[in-house]
Amino acid sequence: MIVSPAQKTWGRISRGLYLLILIVGALIMVIPFLWSLSTSLKPLNQALAYPPRWIPHPFLWKNYIDTWKTVPMERWFLNSTLVSVVVVIGNLLLDALAGYALARIHFRGRNLVFFGVISMLMIPFQSIMLPVYIELRSLGLINSYAGMILPQLVSAMGVFLMRQAFLNIPEEVEESAVIEGASRWRIFWQITLPMVQPTMLTLALMMFMSSWNNFLLPLLVANKLQFWTLPLGMVMFQQQYYTNWPYLMAAAVMATIPIAILFLIFQKWFIQGISTTGLK
Amino acid sequence: MAAVQADSQSRSGGRFLREKGMQKWRRQETVTAYLFSLPTIILLLMFSLGPAVYAFFLSGVSWNLLDQMHWIGLHNYAAIFRMPLFWTAVKNSFIFAAVVMPVQTIIAMIFAVIMNQHLPARPLFRLAFFFPSISSSAVTSLMFMWIFNKLGLLNGFLNWFGISGPDWIGDPRFALSAIMILNIWSTSGYFMVVFLAGLQSIPQNFYEAAAIDGASAFQRFLRITVPLLRPSTFFIVVMGMIGTLQMFDQSFIISGGTGGPLNSTMTMALLIYEEIFSYGNVGYGAAITVFLFVVVLLLTLLTNRWLGKPIEY
Repeated sequence: MIVSPAQKTWGRISRGLYLLILIVGALIMVIPFLWSLSTSLKPLNQALAYPPRWIPHPFLWKNYIDTWKTVPMERWFLNSTLVSVVVVIGNLLLDALAGYALARIHFRGRNLVFFGVISMLMIPFQSIMLPVYIELRSLGLINSYAGMILPQLVSAMGVFLMRQAFLNIPEEVEESAVIEGASRWRIFWQITLPMVQPTMLTLALMMFMSSWNNFLLPLLVANKLQFWTLPLGMVMFQQQYYTNWPYLMAAAVMATIPIAILFLIFQKWFIQGISTTGLK
Repeated sequence: MAAVQADSQSRSGGRFLREKGMQKWRRQETVTAYLFSLPTIILLLMFSLGPAVYAFFLSGVSWNLLDQMHWIGLHNYAAIFRMPLFWTAVKNSFIFAAVVMPVQTIIAMIFAVIMNQHLPARPLFRLAFFFPSISSSAVTSLMFMWIFNKLGLLNGFLNWFGISGPDWIGDPRFALSAIMILNIWSTSGYFMVVFLAGLQSIPQNFYEAAAIDGASAFQRFLRITVPLLRPSTFFIVVMGMIGTLQMFDQSFIISGGTGGPLNSTMTMALLIYEEIFSYGNVGYGAAITVFLFVVVLLLTLLTNRWLGKPIEY
């Protein structure tokens, strides 16, 4: 194809235009975070100044320490960490086991189990909060860690993701072990599971994120301050105490840091998770 | 596959013994499979499918969480259908979904297509777009409450253009729009990544052929990209619809759990919450839950008829 100079200029203009649109879009995405960061470093009277000013003067790093001391951030951090870590471990083990059985073992009722799992992909938590709350209440799990962990301990999406990963491993890998009569558990644990490590990492990240960010389940389960997780604690802090925006924004920044670090390190696996669960 | 192989082996000599061994092996495999998937099956039944079924039962009772339950059949449905607040919630949820879902889908598609143009700094842009969707709803809601403040960043920005912005969160005419903006902002990036993955699967030679035939960039977008992205679009529309119709966190946080001002941010999910925790009316809450199920299911089936067909090249 012959490219005329006019086309070349037009190509350059349109690329410039695309770049401009992207830059504006990216700014819109980032500005709220930068604004929180800026607010979190201001004294209260400066934060309330209108028209708004971007650069804090002076940079009040003390806000972070004060926030940490004013509200039980430490406790909420520990609660969030505890719940998220257990949820990640549970999902890694249980989703992988079920995914393996569904991908590899020919058993009676497999299709039923598989379609059961798929149908549960369509049930988001908000729509079943009422029956789940009543169930947790009758099990005596209100105001307990178990109440915040058990409903998240397996996920239909995770089972689906792991099943896909196992299906992508050629069966020949296991054949000799099956013929030699090795137990399924050994085959699973020693041969096949190590081969799906990248998917496990994706699953771990997705589960950590969803559990760390979960607001509704802790809202239902934890009425007592000592069980609040970070998202719930922040919202309660805002609603029940006072509106000290620099402190609130400092809390928001601190709550985002762990996820942000994980995301920056493991960006590739986050994206991979979305691409695989989002398409197939 | 192993089973198939063993099957063909059993057809040769020593048939009886082998088949017996085979049966034992099969049984063992079934037991193992159920041992492997039992915890998952139990937990999913307890916290996903079970509650969904339980909601249908609860929608037929009168119960305030404390006294004895009474079976009252369909009375809860009759009661919620006569309740103006219910229809307000339905209306809000539908308006919310009808605005947010298409807008976020279109924004996500446009940005994905632009980002697919081999422009510089692509990873950096992807990072920026994706970042809102990894932050918790609590963080983003609080951030936007601050931005939407009467004397906040957004109105400060509008002020540059001589527009005196409203009290976004305190004014019933604007509160739901504020939550719409927040949701579009926080989910578009996630769906953009889904579209980006979908774009990778469109064969490049389609574009080359169309370019040779003299199709403009816009025509190529409309005639090739949009139709061939249909599987991603289907996924995004369904997920977007489910997500927006059941929106809870942002309404709860921004309105302080009330759905205010003047119920302008009351959604179906928030009303379900209110029915349990403010009014102690489990039956009403369950009836609304069932209503929400049915609406989402019908709309999903409808979308499936519209967008769900596989692509034929």
